[in-house]
Amino acid sequence: MTKLNRREMGNSSEEDLAHRVLKDIKAPSDLGLLRCVQCGLCTSMCPASRHSEYDAREIIKRVLDNDESIIDDEIIWNCFYCYTCHSVCPVGNSVCEVNQILREMAIQKDVGKKQIESFMSFADSYLAEGLGIIPEEYHGQLKIDYGKHWENLQEQLQDIREDLGLESMYLLPEAKESVDKTLEAIGFKKRVQEIKDVRNRK
Amino acid sequence: MSEKNRIGVFLCHCGGNISDNVDLDYIEERLSENDEICSIKHHENLCSLEGRNIIKDQILRQDLDRVVISACSKITHGATFQKYIKPLNPYLFEMPNVREQCSWVTENKQESTDKALSLINSAVESVKYNEPLKKIPTSVKNSVLVIGAGISGITTANSLAKQGMEVTLIEKRPAVGGAMVQVGKVFTPDKMSEDCAACLLNPVIDEMVHNDNITLLTNTVLEKSTRNSGNFDVILRKKPDYVNPDKCTSCGKCTESCPTFAPDEWNEGLNDRKAIYKPFPQAVPSTYTLDDESCVKCGACLNVCPTNAINLDAIDEIISLTVGSVVIASGHQRFDTSKRPEYGHPFYEDVLSQMQLARLMGVNGPTHGHLQVPSTGKVPRRVVMIQCVGSRDQMPEGHKYCSKVCCMVALKNANLIHSHYPDTEVIICYTDIRTLGVYEKYYKYVQNNGIKFVRGRPGEIAREDDHMVVRVEDTLNRDKIEIPTDLVVLSAALESSEGTIEAAKTLGVPLTEDKFVKEKHPKMQPVSTDIEGIFVCGTAQGPKDITDSIIQANTAATKISELVNGGLEVEPFIATINVKKCILCGNCIENCRYQALTMYHNSIRVGPIACTGCGDCIVTCPEEAISIQGQSDEKLRASIAGLLKDKKEDEQVIIAFLDDIGNVSANNMGINRVDCPSSIRIINVPFINRVKYSHIKYALTHGADGVFLGEYPDTPKHNEIRENVNIMKKHLEEDGINPERLLIHSVFIPYFRGLANQFKEFDEELQILSK
Repeated sequence: MTKLNRREMGNSSEEDLAHRVLKDIKAPSDLGLLRCVQCGLCTSMCPASRHSEYDAREIIKRVLDNDESIIDDEIIWNCFYCYTCHSVCPVGNSVCEVNQILREMAIQKDVGKKQIESFMSFADSYLAEGLGIIPEEYHGQLKIDYGKHWENLQEQLQDIREDLGLESMYLLPEAKESVDKTLEAIGFKKRVQEIKDVRNRK
Repeated sequence: MSEKNRIGVFLCHCGGNISDNVDLDYIEERLSENDEICSIKHHENLCSLEGRNIIKDQILRQDLDRVVISACSKITHGATFQKYIKPLNPYLFEMPNVREQCSWVTENKQESTDKALSLINSAVESVKYNEPLKKIPTSVKNSVLVIGAGISGITTANSLAKQGMEVTLIEKRPAVGGAMVQVGKVFTPDKMSEDCAACLLNPVIDEMVHNDNITLLTNTVLEKSTRNSGNFDVILRKKPDYVNPDKCTSCGKCTESCPTFAPDEWNEGLNDRKAIYKPFPQAVPSTYTLDDESCVKCGACLNVCPTNAINLDAIDEIISLTVGSVVIASGHQRFDTSKRPEYGHPFYEDVLSQMQLARLMGVNGPTHGHLQVPSTGKVPRRVVMIQCVGSRDQMPEGHKYCSKVCCMVALKNANLIHSHYPDTEVIICYTDIRTLGVYEKYYKYVQNNGIKFVRGRPGEIAREDDHMVVRVEDTLNRDKIEIPTDLVVLSAALESSEGTIEAAKTLGVPLTEDKFVKEKHPKMQPVSTDIEGIFVCGTAQGPKDITDSIIQANTAATKISELVNGGLEVEPFIATINVKKCILCGNCIENCRYQALTMYHNSIRVGPIACTGCGDCIVTCPEEAISIQGQSDEKLRASIAGLLKDKKEDEQVIIAFLDDIGNVSANNMGINRVDCPSSIRIINVPFINRVKYSHIKYALTHGADGVFLGEYPDTPKHNEIRENVNIMKKHLEEDGINPERLLIHSVFIPYFRGLANQFKEFDEELQILSK
């Protein structure tokens, strides 16, 4: 027997999960979250739903049910932002954007930090050069995925750029300094550090 | 006003709606200082019969000559109180709206009370200028144009004709019957069976054909319509009669000889027809017709026609008529499913619409009623129906509304398939099944017959080997499924037809955001339109089934009968022209957007039905010969003076002149309890151009801190009005008044929150300005 879930009266509040999602800065002003009728159109088109336990419709159901456990649930990390659900929803809802907001809520807790901690090398290369460069540690997998051609390109990138008459792709010292200051000012550095710290707390 | 008036003021509590937030005792005390007010009475609900007795009693006892009813909106209750002030002339009263525009939008009771007093004062001052008026009786011509000969149009035409009216029924297509004649079978409320549509429709069509009061014109559209007092001068265009209906014997030889093919509309393009053809065997009129877009004019038909009925050089006919009323019954069309390519239309031959399925199942259809998969010619092993295609869909090109009939259509066709082909499985993919009222019993009946239901909205259809698969989540058990199927049927939305949109445009009738003909009031006046004398019925007004269409069609006929038999009385607030001053320059005629003014035997005539009393003509007249009855400049000035009469030292007052749309928007603010600064004092004017510079200057020099003009911008006069405001601002500057104190802003009925914000911002700006 499953436990009967009794819903007490007088608990409806503007502070439930759905309203917190709607109030999030990332939520578009006309997000159709509350208009969802659980038709399942998103799930039927969603690649993540097709190939994993993820169910786009169910994400929304749990948010509407004020099921806080979804923030800790690893399932929200299965979405890879293809935006198909977003582009087909008949009521203007967007599961992927709701996911992004849920993930940020998870990041505020340690559970989400753990999910993205492994990507911090991207942040490091950004902090070091002021550019979005693929970190060294991913090169091995990329060689396997893209093959010899990609490896050659990486090795000879400098020469190829010179042949094409392109200037250095790295920032000038003053630009780099300016990016660095900006990253400091907007709290990027602090955020990266906090995420990395989660490793030490394991 | 040398003589003193005897005014009665009646204060309605509105069951607490007003009295809870307005100190009516204080108001009574203040009003009693005015020696022209001879009677002040309170009542819990003035609109009750008891309230009526109190008003009547006071009028008689106190010999009142003017009445002010402090209550709610004149729009909702004006007509009631107009009757209650009998034996006074019905135009000798005013209604300050202290509910929607005061007690409901002002939080602070003291401010609310001050504002209410000011609104009542304004009404007291302005009512002194009311004149005893009479509604203007007009007569309406006993002839009607009905646009569209589907079930709605034919029903209206029959009813009107039986009531003795002369009806011209026009139909764009070559045959009458509309969608009903195509569907084959119809569902009937309270009956667990599908009925033959043609058998139900034919007697109705026969009645129309045999009624001498009805002139049927097929292949005909409305081309132009002009208002002529109470009537409409219309021009119709009838396609050339290539086949003479008097000579044609419907032998069909022409069709046999014709070498040219075109898609058969009657069968939803499932097969081809010839360029000269009869739409379907039972078509009315039964004459053959020629489609001049596909005809190559080879002349083959001419050679075989035994009665010489064909003339390929025929030209179209222009018909001009004058009618008293017009009914728009031009129906719907079905959503173009190729706008949802993920459902495979038109790439996959075996994806059909419900109407195509109906044709396929129809005994007079392309397969004589045999259900066949188009690509194989075999009976399908399984049929999957997809609901809400283009309905309940806010994506581009979709429709937000529910099309209302598709659930029943799917159930009907599913059950038909089941009863003829018991081995064929039918699955309906739905989001909600909406079978209101007794239709629910039919739903249960169909379920009982074994039709299957999947609760989920499919995302796409793919082709696999010799069949298709429908991808859908069964949302009841979280199963992501693929349903292999031979045939897919899409329940496409009902949408406003091109013909409906064109007819509305030609007649100048507004459309809703969904492009259906907009009714005067969607709840209370569902067949009237904004233009007096033009009516709407059937699916031209919105998705509905046959039964509802017939009900609405008969209602439209009744409303026309009221006009013709009961005569039409229009409000007396219309333009009057002082013939002594008028120099017949014609400026006003050109300027009037309602075509209400016409030159007639060396004088200018005002059409009382067409004239809305907007007053826009007043400013165009170089001789100041035009005025609006009962809406004098002096009266408007008195309204302003009254608003400012008891203004307190520290009180900020903004006079907001709102047009009718703005006034409704302000009422909506009240209905939705949206806060509005108490400084806002609304005066409803029929049109913003009615407010003259002298009024604005008067307000700003007699205590008003600001003047707000609320204008509905979607009129041809918009630019002119805005320009005029700029000129007025210059005048203010010349007169040493800060032009920032005058503001014009757009108003829309649904955007009452926006209007409230505008009021708030202006209120704050003025507070800064005054420091």
